[in-house]
Amino acid sequence: MIQFLLKGILRDKSRSILPIIIVSAGVFLTVLLSGYMKGVFGDVIDQSARFDTGHVKVMSRAYAENIDQLPNDLALLGVTEIVGSLKNQYPEMDWVKRIKFGGLIDVIDKEGNSKGQGPVAGLSFELFSGTGKEIKRMNIEKSIVIGRVPLKPNEALISNEFAQKLNLSIGDEVTYIGSTMNGSMAFSVFKICGTITFGVAQMDRGSIIIDVSDAQKILDMEDGAGEILGFQRNDIYQVEEAELISDKFNASYASDPDEFAPMMVSLQKQNDLEFMINYSNSISAILIGFFIFAMSLVLWNTGLLSGLRRYKEFGIRLALGEAKGQIYRTFTYEAIIVGIIGSVIGTVLGVSAVYYLQVVGIDISGMLDQLSSSMMMPSVLRGKITPNLFYIGFVPGLLAMVLGNMLSGLGIYKRQTATLMKELEV
Amino acid sequence: MKSEVIITIENLTKRFPEGDSEFTALSKINLEFSRGEFAGVVGPSGSGKTTLLNIIGSLDKPTEGRVSVLSNDISKLSHKESAMLRNMHIGFIFQVYNLLPVYTVFENVEFALMLQKKSKSERTKSVMEALEWVGLQDIPNKKVTKLSGGEGQRVAIARAMVKKPELVIADEPTANLDAVNAHSILETMKNLNKEFNTTFLFSTHDEKVMSYLDRIIHLRDGKLESDEIIHHKITAK
Ligand SMILES: Nc1ncnc2c1ncn2[C@@H]1O[C@H](COP(=O)(O)OP(=O)(O)O)[C@@H](O)[C@H]1O
Ligand SMILES: [Mg+2]
Repeated sequence: MIQFLLKGILRDKSRSILPIIIVSAGVFLTVLLSGYMKGVFGDVIDQSARFDTGHVKVMSRAYAENIDQLPNDLALLGVTEIVGSLKNQYPEMDWVKRIKFGGLIDVIDKEGNSKGQGPVAGLSFELFSGTGKEIKRMNIEKSIVIGRVPLKPNEALISNEFAQKLNLSIGDEVTYIGSTMNGSMAFSVFKICGTITFGVAQMDRGSIIIDVSDAQKILDMEDGAGEILGFQRNDIYQVEEAELISDKFNASYASDPDEFAPMMVSLQKQNDLEFMINYSNSISAILIGFFIFAMSLVLWNTGLLSGLRRYKEFGIRLALGEAKGQIYRTFTYEAIIVGIIGSVIGTVLGVSAVYYLQVVGIDISGMLDQLSSSMMMPSVLRGKITPNLFYIGFVPGLLAMVLGNMLSGLGIYKRQTATLMKELEV
Repeated sequence: MKSEVIITIENLTKRFPEGDSEFTALSKINLEFSRGEFAGVVGPSGSGKTTLLNIIGSLDKPTEGRVSVLSNDISKLSHKESAMLRNMHIGFIFQVYNLLPVYTVFENVEFALMLQKKSKSERTKSVMEALEWVGLQDIPNKKVTKLSGGEGQRVAIARAMVKKPELVIADEPTANLDAVNAHSILETMKNLNKEFNTTFLFSTHDEKVMSYLDRIIHLRDGKLESDEIIHHKITAK
């Protein structure tokens, strides 16, 4: 019987092509949008974690409050001890110190005259730690355009774009001018050991990257750090666990009234990432829901349009000795077959499109220049192929087709046999 | 020997709701049909022919009275039971909307047997046999949409006959056919009637059909007007 139905569907283009196109289109969009949004959201979350928020971040309460101003005067002190105890408590996590700072870069020529100046965003990571974890985490080695990672004190990496603007090359010396933790003037000379492009708009505007120990030195932050970042196993974010850890950590300082006491904030509590995480998890469900609804309506109408053909077939088959329920059921099988065909086509197209977006991506760096968001936006938005893309399309594809078909067939089903036969007399 | 009665109609009345009141389509009909009859219900349009045949074919139910078909009380059949009765024992031929488009001649006929869950080999054998009865054995794979009206009606006859039913109901089967085709399919049906002793019930207002019938029942405004047995003259050929 199924074979018989299949024959009918394949031959009767008028009955199958339109629904198949509708289902394919809906499934295609579901898969494409799911894969794309998942990819973009995932990238945003992932990059935020690596470059900015960690999976959890420890700061002083005062620092946390003014975090947008890079308030190193409010930084944590005694961080060796804090990190030590965190490592003790959560040995499976990686804990690292970071210092962000602002200032100016001054380039001096051989005669000692200023060749150029520019504001910089200073970033310091544990580059000299020997574990290489931070270097790997931020993919520094691959992001280096020329040169290498800083290996000894007073070496610095600088954004490639920035280096070109200031006409800097490897081996050149630059002077950093800023203010120390205590508010006095900070001067320090760095030797450029490489230039870097992360592909993250915020990081590529004008950054200087040095080791944390250098930053502590020039900013007068002995045993201090603006932020301590914690990364979970394999650098994969576990929402609940991060919440638990930070709640526990904060509870232990609950009775401490000191504004410089440390506090821990999980990733999703930073930079409005919570909504993105929630969306990222439910994006497929939302899209599926939306497309089931929209496609069902369309298919319902398409079904009604082909109602006359349905009517005739219903009448003939009733006379041939099928019960109504049986006929209605085979109409549903037909819908399932059409739904599967449409879903397969839509999924293939959708996954291909996501794959294309994963490889090529959409470059939005131009747009990002005008955008001053605290969110870490990757400058190329990419889709991501996840296993679920291969089956999520079938949910709206099949449900919408079956639902639309059942709705449009209901009118016929409810008719009295006699009325039906009467209406069929032309 | 008097042949077996397979249809008994006693005091059949059928009313259809019409607005707030009711419309009487059939009124107090009493009839009997025996196995092997080649009978027709004749009357002007709207006289109740189709209504009567639909009730006999268990596509509709009596409002009052008793209709028994092949020992089944039509009033008492469930929807599924009546479907089963049609499936196994009754073949239908209509004036129009007869065939499933997109399918071939063969497949249209085969469909009747698929509903009976016959095996593929059984189906193929029976379908080819049925197509031979109606003279379509050479075009089993033709799409029914490409057939002429006469050929289409032949497919319908083959489909009705392929399951060797006890009863074939033909509601104005020649209404859309020219004279040549009409005579030809009537000839075919008459032959099948003789060969298999299948009971044929027609509805018609076509003179050509009437000339083939052994029994003519006249309906007018839902009432039985006359019921006559026709004694065909034996014409030597
Ligand atoms: N299902 C129905 N609902 C309402 N009225 C019907 C229905 N079927 C038939 N009728 C009415 O019953 C009368 C007889 O119809 P029908 O049996 O189709 O006549 P015939 O086949 O002789 O032309 C007509 O007036 C028709 O309108
Ligand atoms: Mg009629």
